[in-house]
Amino acid sequence: MIKSMRQSTLETLGLGNVIDIFKNGKLPVKADELVEQVFGKESERGALVISGANGIVGAGKMMQLGVRLQPYGIPLIGLDFPGVPDGIGFQYSGLAASFGKKQADEIMSSVIRYNYDGTKLPVLLKKFNPKLLIEAIPEILEVKKSHYKIFSESFPGIEIKSVTSGFPSSELGVDIYHPAFPHQINKIWEVVETKPSKVTQLFWALGMLPIPVSDHWAFVLDVLFCGLTLSALRYHEASNMPFWKIDKYVRKILGPNPFRAHDVIGARGANFLTWSCLHHLSKHYGKLFEPTASLVEHKDSGQNWYPLNHLRPIVNWTADENELNEFGTWILGSLIQMTSLMLHENRAHFTHINSIGELCAQFRSGVIAMIRRLGSSSSIKIVEEFHKLFPGASAKSWHPDVFKNLDKPEWQQLYVNAEHDGKVGVITIARESYNWDVNEELNRAIDWLKSEKIERVIVTGDFHLSTQLVGADTNEFFPALNDEKEGFRVSYEWSKTARRLHYEFKTSVGFISGKRCLGGMLELMIHCRYLVSVDDANLGAPEVTLPVVPGMEMCHWTFRKVKPENWILLLRLLLSGKSVKASESVGWLTDYAGSIENAIKIAYDIALNDEKVLPKRILNEEKLTGIPTDMAWLPHSDDAARKAILDCVINSCGVNLNEAITIQSKHSAAFMTSKQCQNGFIGDEYTKTMLV
Amino acid sequence: MKKVESIYPNARIPYGTWGSSYFPAWQMSALAEVNIAQFAGEAMSKIMSKRKVHMNNIDYLITGSTIPWHWKFWTSPFVSSCSGFRLPGFHVEQACATGLKAMLLAAAEVQSGPSNMVGVLTFDRTSDSPVGVFPERRSYERTIALSDVWDNFGFDPATGNAMLNTAGLAARKYKIDRKEVDEIAFFRHQQYFQALESGFLQRVLEPLEILNLQGKLLGKIDSDMGVRKLTLDGLRTMRELDSCVTAGTQTHASDGMATLLVTSKDRIKEISSRPEIDIQFIGRAELRALPNLMPEAPALTVKKLLNQTGLTIDDMAVVKNHNPFAVNDAIFAKEFNYDWHKMNNTGCPLVWGHPQGPTLTRVTMEALEEAVDLGGGYVLIFGCAAGDVGIAAIFKVSEGGKK
Repeated sequence: MIKSMRQSTLETLGLGNVIDIFKNGKLPVKADELVEQVFGKESERGALVISGANGIVGAGKMMQLGVRLQPYGIPLIGLDFPGVPDGIGFQYSGLAASFGKKQADEIMSSVIRYNYDGTKLPVLLKKFNPKLLIEAIPEILEVKKSHYKIFSESFPGIEIKSVTSGFPSSELGVDIYHPAFPHQINKIWEVVETKPSKVTQLFWALGMLPIPVSDHWAFVLDVLFCGLTLSALRYHEASNMPFWKIDKYVRKILGPNPFRAHDVIGARGANFLTWSCLHHLSKHYGKLFEPTASLVEHKDSGQNWYPLNHLRPIVNWTADENELNEFGTWILGSLIQMTSLMLHENRAHFTHINSIGELCAQFRSGVIAMIRRLGSSSSIKIVEEFHKLFPGASAKSWHPDVFKNLDKPEWQQLYVNAEHDGKVGVITIARESYNWDVNEELNRAIDWLKSEKIERVIVTGDFHLSTQLVGADTNEFFPALNDEKEGFRVSYEWSKTARRLHYEFKTSVGFISGKRCLGGMLELMIHCRYLVSVDDANLGAPEVTLPVVPGMEMCHWTFRKVKPENWILLLRLLLSGKSVKASESVGWLTDYAGSIENAIKIAYDIALNDEKVLPKRILNEEKLTGIPTDMAWLPHSDDAARKAILDCVINSCGVNLNEAITIQSKHSAAFMTSKQCQNGFIGDEYTKTMLV
Repeated sequence: MKKVESIYPNARIPYGTWGSSYFPAWQMSALAEVNIAQFAGEAMSKIMSKRKVHMNNIDYLITGSTIPWHWKFWTSPFVSSCSGFRLPGFHVEQACATGLKAMLLAAAEVQSGPSNMVGVLTFDRTSDSPVGVFPERRSYERTIALSDVWDNFGFDPATGNAMLNTAGLAARKYKIDRKEVDEIAFFRHQQYFQALESGFLQRVLEPLEILNLQGKLLGKIDSDMGVRKLTLDGLRTMRELDSCVTAGTQTHASDGMATLLVTSKDRIKEISSRPEIDIQFIGRAELRALPNLMPEAPALTVKKLLNQTGLTIDDMAVVKNHNPFAVNDAIFAKEFNYDWHKMNNTGCPLVWGHPQGPTLTRVTMEALEEAVDLGGGYVLIFGCAAGDVGIAAIFKVSEGGKK
């Protein structure tokens, strides 16, 4: 009997729970099997057709899917109107830059291009036996419908997925695969289908991030992003503040630059899509979504939002406290109200609604996590204040009742989930970087497993949204740049949480399944009694490159678990900032590295049987002596950050384990207030983001 | 207050919707390094924001400037684009008469109906005067390069004289005494510093930060940089450049912008921070004096205006002028037997400089604020402009202005 804190996001794809993966010793589906089910056996493989293949979406997705499907020998057919400018060829240089010329040439050689006039399909298309159509043609409902009709009649049984920017599936009559920008690399697809299809599961198996959403006008990301743009526009019209400055303030309070994003995507197309999304939403949900005059003007003209280069801004705008409060009300009020609507309509799994802004629109925090932090009454108050500024929004689409359930697991466990089968628990982390939200949710997950009497645990990514674990979220260090106490708090509290994985379970296994596990996330994982990884994962401590001094005990914890002759390997990792392949780290950093199937099996086996499977490395809780201090082998060894990290290693290893947490935290905190840190990446980001 | 019909009965200046940059002296501030039209457009938007005026309420923009700037061809529509809002409009210039003329044209625009909220935006940059290159077949050089600010100050093509010489000539004509001119200049500086220290000027002037190409702070425009604290003794020892004209008794070139709104009377309530204050256009006049006598033109214009309206100088609650030379005030006082201590109570261009386009706009704003403080009354604004031109207007500030 499986129990979980909340529904796993994997389950929304019909792929079960994460603990099933470990219990079954394998991933829920395999790409090659699904390729056969969708495209047919190798001898009779059908084709993928992308219509509108020369557009921004079509061409981008041709590249993204081409890379993944080309090894299976699937013909990739790009269909478009005659005379449309070549969008696919335009992608070649990016493809070559990412994968090298040879692979790029191979992918391009699988791409077959046809023109058609919109009324009849090319005769030769039949030869390729199309099995899956991804439609990316212009947003005209009748044109889309007749396009589907032609394909369905010509190729009965073909799966049709539309990338539409806003029409519901009920209007189109086909499933929706709505992708996020930039289309070549963004793996998120918002999927509308009655139940998870084989195509969706294949996309997951190919490393994409399909997110099931309900069948409503516009999509989760579009509601958030277009809605945010609209809020910013309303503030512009209420205050005259120029778009470029509004962008800076939006970035300060939330993260995205909505206007810059439009210009980068291409203002003409992006303005239209934003307008179109809001226009349709306003028809159904009222004035909350009604496009403003300046959006209409920019839609009609295709004009950029930022001034032309020769008109870079001259007059600065610095909002005072009152103006900032009003700005916050315009922006947050609208965003909270839109989120209430999506939650009311149950548009997607909470984690999906929350994470999509972070994954696709540069939100520093998920929107639900932000509301959770504000609390129910503050969130409602902000919306009510917003309604005073913009009374039109109060009439419709406001559902404050959804905030009553803030204490429910769906709200409380957005990033971290826990499941167990009665014997082994699995803690899954659905965020690539560690922040206070993750820290608090992780503590709750540990508490829950303990309350369920679970003593054996695996800590892992969620096999869905976190395809890698990149380290600490450096935005969380901003307050520490000028406040050593805050730096100490971050380091100490996060380390305390990590230590729970060591102290509060009989066995704990850190499991690394993604491409990389770095920095703070690796520090978290090393606190598990065992560390198991897929063999090609990159493991590293890039803190020195930022620079910061690692704060979650990397400077002594790992040293306590290895023989002194391996300390130099740890020092290299810490002081060079270079990653190491998991396969080369066995014995001194990891306990096992192997193929994904073997790693999954052995992780669960260790969780159940610990030392019967692998010897447990003992954590030396006493002082360590003899840490090498000669760094002559290291280029730039006199660099202040390297010295600070080495000092931290020597001093935190030079005390017992109890004291070490304080020593490490002090070193980390002190360095964050140093000039080196303030002039480095984090200081630079802080200046750009917060000093508006 | 005597009752006089307004020449534009439907036009009003809404109280609290005006603002000006400080006017730093030429070459002294970051304004010397920017496109002044772009600056003005952006600054207007910011000033209106501070005054809680949404720019999208404005339906027409009259810009005024006199010194060529980059892309001047595009005039008002370009400047409004720089403000972030695309408005129709037109551009006006008549040297230092520009600011007042732009306001009067805005009132006419409202009165005649096509617009009911007109922005007036005036600006100029005397720093780094642009140089025009003109093919001139009749000159021996064949091509003339003309520094727009300094060559024009130095040479009126219609008379052949410099601007400065008109002050000397007028001083001699009116038998003005150097001693009195020095006293006027000294007193005007005292008036300015008192208004500054009392916080009065800060009601009109908005500090602004100027960004460089990288978006970093280039400089702050938060004072009338270049205004000196002169002493009477110091003034008396200054070398005379022409009769009664010294470096201390004439203005200096400066840079800046000033903006206000003219609306129909029915929009006051929604736009003004104190809608009970009613500011009307009572009369206007322009005149051209005899050649080389520019400083007498304002006094003659005021005479003409008073005759037109039936008002007298004693009916005026506030008297304020553009006075590039202290001689202007001495002539005015002599012509009207008026105590010059009673005018320009909060400072004047003689002190804070001469950016041309926005000069009379700022003069008007300060005068209207002063009238509000006095509880209303007639406000006389006048000044001279290149070409021996005089311009004058009377505004009426309602008694409702009393706090």
